[in-house]
Amino acid sequence: MTFNKIVWKMAKHHYKKYIFYLVCNSLAVTFFFMFTTVYLNKQLVEMEQSEGIQYVLSIPGVALFTFTIFFMSYAHHIFMKKRRSEFGLFMTLGMTRREISKLIVLENSIIALISLIIGVLIGATLSKFFFWLLLKFVGIQEILFQLHAKMFLYTVIVFLVMFFVAVGQSLYLTFKKNIITNLKNEKITENVSDKHARLGGIGLLIVIGSIIGLYFTYTGHRGGDFLLLWSLATFIGLYIVLYHFTSLLIELIKKNKGYYYRRLLYLTNINYKYKRLTSVMMLVTVMIMVTLLYSTIILFTYITTEREAIEETPFDVAFIQTDSTNNVGIDAVKAIFEQNGNRVQRHVSVPIYSYFQKDYYEVVHAYTFMSLDAFNELTSSQFELKNNEFIYFLNENTETPESIPYDQGLRIPSGSDEIIYDVKEVIAEKRMNTLSNLSEIFVINDTELSRLKRSVDGLAAVVHLINLEDWQNSKTEVKKLKQTFESLHASTPAINVEHIVPEDELFQISSRIEGYEKNKNSNGILFFVTIFLSVLFFIGSFFLLYIQLFSEVDKELERIRKLYRIGITSKEIKRMISQEITTIFMIPTLLGTTLALLYILAMATDIGGVIANPEIILHFLIVGGSYFVLQFAFLFYARKKMYRLLSTKLAHSIDKANI
Amino acid sequence: MTILEANNIFKVYGEFNGERETVALNNINLLINRGDFVAIMGPSGSGKTTLLNILSGIDQPTSGEVTIGGENLNEMKSDALAHFRRKQLGFVFQDFNLLDSLTVKENIMLPMILEKKNLTEMEEKIHELASLFEIKSILNKYPYHISGGQQQRTAVSRALVNEPQIIFADEPTGNLDSKSSTAIMECFERIVDKMSTTVLLVTHDVFAASYCQKVIFIRDGAVHSSISKTTNRNAFLTEIMDNLTLLGGR
Repeated sequence: MTFNKIVWKMAKHHYKKYIFYLVCNSLAVTFFFMFTTVYLNKQLVEMEQSEGIQYVLSIPGVALFTFTIFFMSYAHHIFMKKRRSEFGLFMTLGMTRREISKLIVLENSIIALISLIIGVLIGATLSKFFFWLLLKFVGIQEILFQLHAKMFLYTVIVFLVMFFVAVGQSLYLTFKKNIITNLKNEKITENVSDKHARLGGIGLLIVIGSIIGLYFTYTGHRGGDFLLLWSLATFIGLYIVLYHFTSLLIELIKKNKGYYYRRLLYLTNINYKYKRLTSVMMLVTVMIMVTLLYSTIILFTYITTEREAIEETPFDVAFIQTDSTNNVGIDAVKAIFEQNGNRVQRHVSVPIYSYFQKDYYEVVHAYTFMSLDAFNELTSSQFELKNNEFIYFLNENTETPESIPYDQGLRIPSGSDEIIYDVKEVIAEKRMNTLSNLSEIFVINDTELSRLKRSVDGLAAVVHLINLEDWQNSKTEVKKLKQTFESLHASTPAINVEHIVPEDELFQISSRIEGYEKNKNSNGILFFVTIFLSVLFFIGSFFLLYIQLFSEVDKELERIRKLYRIGITSKEIKRMISQEITTIFMIPTLLGTTLALLYILAMATDIGGVIANPEIILHFLIVGGSYFVLQFAFLFYARKKMYRLLSTKLAHSIDKANI
Repeated sequence: MTILEANNIFKVYGEFNGERETVALNNINLLINRGDFVAIMGPSGSGKTTLLNILSGIDQPTSGEVTIGGENLNEMKSDALAHFRRKQLGFVFQDFNLLDSLTVKENIMLPMILEKKNLTEMEEKIHELASLFEIKSILNKYPYHISGGQQQRTAVSRALVNEPQIIFADEPTGNLDSKSSTAIMECFERIVDKMSTTVLLVTHDVFAASYCQKVIFIRDGAVHSSISKTTNRNAFLTEIMDNLTLLGGR
């Protein structure tokens, strides 16, 4: 028998190690490939760009990418840890470094190649199934499953880079350590003395600080810019907490000696394992946090699509009409809607007058005026205004600004003179649909509006606001009205006023049904992507915990054997295993859930806070509750399996008198 | 006063009366009295460790009975046996059997913690044993930071912590240098002299066995002969070596 045959025989004998490594690698490839089928899906990429949702997907993207890379290197680390003791043995028997290198590269290459093939095949199949399943439920036809070269290319490149890094590291470690260290590799005790309780406290402060930072900065249009920054701070803080905080906690518990000694085995073992567990716990916590956070936000957005459409478009249909544009009689407009039985329930016409002014830098500013009577009718209020007063009306659902640019009065040049109005009231409330220049309106009394029309050149128009009996069935009619306006628009001369937006845009129709459909579509796609990622995250985090637990089963058996020798009962073993696995499963779940909740509370400030949107908490409870149920199911499974495995191995060990 | 009694102990591996049957212990009968300090010696594969495991309730005999302090181990269920072991018996192993995640003090305390003893009692006992075995200065260290001899003294302290009726030691000097071996055997002597505890050990080491009052030799799973110390330790050492030569092997 040649030496190579002995090596091959040993490999066959330890086939479980290879299968474990192959499964882990295939799984990592599967995850990464599924991830690319979503992120490189052309329709999704286009949709991301048009809807500006890239930043929404940035954090889950980074998390999943990190997970895949970590998972691969972790599997490799476990595999090589077991193999290095064998390499130590081969070296003592006279195998050269060159032969060992060849062996490491060869066996890793074969496994890598098979993993790539299996991973891509499974990834493509699962992804296709997932697209089909979710599109069927979410009902979006626009996004279809695609496969293209880039997906394969990226997967292969990332996998090969990871492969070379991991194999290179293994070669380095195998040859850097001497034969004895390699031989004892599996038995080397981890150093547990480099943990500092105070650093744990600093980590906690970083986490709290980043959430407070997010709370104060996540508002306005640029709020999302800081999200990644705060998230990174949270993750760094979390890592420090996980690494050092257990020591602080155990130090505190130690002060109550009675309590500490009663839980001695459990507490010390968790502390002892923690160094090895920190990276896994950290990654699982982040994955759970991201899953819960995004699922809640997207579920909230998806479910509130209708409410969002109603808030964004207070009237079912709205358009601006001038003497020469969109000038169709209101009866003709009503007829378009009512021909299919969709009655017009309310019609409000609001006369406006827009005045356009260039500033020193040639930037055009639009000033839109509305009469007080029309405003009172629109808002069902009873305001009164003197001739020199105006109401500053912000047609937006935002908080009333404390100061406005017209605190010193609004000055409109009229020939060589100026017309000056003082602000009487500031009102911020969305009362009309968003139409071109209808976001900032100056309300003046009717006499003043007539005077203004006479004094300055501007554009007189009427805003028509219509409510229908059934807005959800108004898609065809809105389309027809649009066509009517477009054909009319093509035959009318352009407006001879300098304005800041193109004429086409100025005279568009704003309808609730279009807003709803657009939101439903983009929210649906986001919902789909989030669910896709959540499922990947959930399965991924479970695998990570599972592998962490079961790859260390021999060490666990050794500990149980030691305890058995000094008289621990099976009941006590069971309780100990249960406590430890529950902790390992539940710490990331609880931390991830807490962080997700805190992030939701902080991010909700952008939509007026959770008090104004209690549904978001309800949605969080639904998502979090579902996650907990699944996590508990997995926990019970893992616990039962671990107990059975250890009991069987222990009984086997006793039978062989190997105790 | 008899503390341990073993009657007609058989241990058979593989199918009983089958082709692959291996008889590890063949009709062993033993009687150990309170305060005895006994060594079991024999060649490799003679069944020493199997016998110790059966006498201490870690393993079950195929047939026969073991009684310790009047309690029949065969009649006890697994968890009752575990309770009995940690309350009434102490163990010292060749590989020390210390938990790496616990400090020396916590390792010693472990059987008392499992027994839910109160804090004052535990602290007092630790203090007493640490002084007796000179390990006070290493109480807060972890096993991998102390020497083999210190680890074994920790293991002896742990074996004594619940004041057991009998201590079983499996090759207690097997992993130690001669200086540490002497220290450990002196520990056992002290236990027997000062606490009247019974010690039963299995060993290859003639030097270690010479500390005992009695040595039982076994071969092929059966008791071959036994000798008791009547003179000084050096003479007893020579006597043990002579018997081992007669027994054959080591």
